[in-house]
Amino acid sequence: MAQFLQVLLSGLATGSIYALAAVGFSLVWQAAQAVNFAQGEFVMLPAFLVLIGEHWLHWPLWAALLFGFALSILLLGLAFKRLIVQPFGPDGGLPLVIATMALSILLKEAVKTFYGAEAEPFPSLLPNGTFHVGGAVVSVRDVLNLLAALAVVLLLTLFLDRTKTGRQMQAAAQNPGVAEILGVDVARMTLYAFLLNAALAAVASFLITPVYLAKFSNGESLGIVAFIAAIIGGFNRIRGALVGGLLIGVLDNLTATYVTLSYRAALPLVLLIAVILWRPQGLLGDEEARIV
Amino acid sequence: MLELSDIRAGYADVQILNGVDLALRPATITTVIGPNGAGKSTLFRAIFGLIRVRSGSIRFGAEEITNEKPARLLARGIAYVPQGRNVVARLSVRHNLELGAVTLADQSLVAPRIEAVMDRFPALRQHQARKAGDLSGGQQKLLEIARALLLDPKLLLIDEPSIGLSPNLVRDVFKVLQGLRDAGVTVLMVEQNTKAALAISDDGLVLELGRARMHAPAAQLLADPAVGRLFLGAAIEG
Ligand SMILES: Nc1ncnc2c1ncn2[C@@H]1O[C@H](COP(=O)(O)OP(=O)(O)OP(=O)(O)O)[C@@H](O)[C@H]1O
Ligand SMILES: [Mg+2]
Repeated sequence: MAQFLQVLLSGLATGSIYALAAVGFSLVWQAAQAVNFAQGEFVMLPAFLVLIGEHWLHWPLWAALLFGFALSILLLGLAFKRLIVQPFGPDGGLPLVIATMALSILLKEAVKTFYGAEAEPFPSLLPNGTFHVGGAVVSVRDVLNLLAALAVVLLLTLFLDRTKTGRQMQAAAQNPGVAEILGVDVARMTLYAFLLNAALAAVASFLITPVYLAKFSNGESLGIVAFIAAIIGGFNRIRGALVGGLLIGVLDNLTATYVTLSYRAALPLVLLIAVILWRPQGLLGDEEARIV
Repeated sequence: MLELSDIRAGYADVQILNGVDLALRPATITTVIGPNGAGKSTLFRAIFGLIRVRSGSIRFGAEEITNEKPARLLARGIAYVPQGRNVVARLSVRHNLELGAVTLADQSLVAPRIEAVMDRFPALRQHQARKAGDLSGGQQKLLEIARALLLDPKLLLIDEPSIGLSPNLVRDVFKVLQGLRDAGVTVLMVEQNTKAALAISDDGLVLELGRARMHAPAAQLLADPAVGRLFLGAAIEG
């Protein structure tokens, strides 16, 4: 029981990082029908931007973090939209998919070439200790990671549901033609979705990298997991992506502990197939809202 | 009020409107009739800045508004209710109404105006917390009209409001339009339900092959045997 609790919690902690990536993925999909196959690298890169601030520019950690966050928003939000997504027009289709795959390779190789192929330690923003709950050893960092990620997603959904700008974003994503005739600035709302995705990726990066070290290949499985988490959750549902991410994190840890380590990588795919067979609209999606 | 001269517009390399002239009298209802594909909806899209006007000019009052964007036109007092379903299905009725007022300069007016349109359409008040997509087709159309009224428009462009509505609801919608006209709003409407629409209209416009064929008082169009034969279903007696 104690071990189960431990495994469950660290699964939720990893899953919450998947969830951040999946939620951002789903935002960009909803706003621009763009499937971002570089999403994993979007989570890998911000940590390196912070390391550049720290080690190359010799800035204090807080300044490096700020720099990494701002540059992430600029590169992964604004530049991604303007230079990669926009040129393919409103319905990017397959060419855009290929472009984001190419971007994923480019980001990975750029980090490897210019920063290095070795795993780099990344400063932890959260305390490192453990505490005991009913015999289980619980990592403080896992708990705080989970809480931080949940808080970010909660804030995001509050923003989307409770503010006028958030609802304009929803209108622009669900029905851009209607949004336009009401005078909503659809292009601006789409940009906001890209900026929010970049912010989510940066937060995920800062939370996860202290655990796994900064490495150019960190995004490899994460991108696929985010994609699958978003589909499992219902693709165009923020809460669905959250649930999908957490579910994969937990099941991943449970199989690794209780079944076998060797099938671990296949688990998200198995989950995906199961959902497609039994609930094709996703766990939290509904029939009407399903676009793909 | 609204004045079009020699408007040409279309899609990609097809031109649909081949020089439309039209001048609306203020505080009137004008119904556009014409066969399917004549370019009625295209005319509205061109006026509302959704497709580019290739040549000609559109004036609203004393101002040139050709090819202005919707947000700008809304601010000038022109609202548009397109053909078909146009609600944001997953937002609540109330939030759909709010969206109608995003371009309103004075946001403190939004809440009282929502109250006012809900007084006019009590069904919307009753369902204000429901998702707009869960309303019946008729209620959705009322919601769209109510949403268009939030900016207190001077000119309302409304494209086939009666499609999919029960006869009772059609009568309600027409009453609303007459009420608006009586309050000084100018209405330009496209309607398949031509006889009933012309009956509440002041003027009528026959659009054919992208040109205005006839622009006359509605009563005159209703009495015209050629119009009757072509557009009003059965022949009109007399
Ligand atoms: N987005 C579009 N792209 C290309 N052609 C279009 C587009 N929309 C309409 N058309 C064409 O333009 C012509 C006029 O269409 P429009 O919708 O203006 O007709 P309408 O008079 O409103 O007809 P209806 O009574 O069926 O609503 C039609 O031949 C139509 O096929
Ligand atoms: Mg039409």
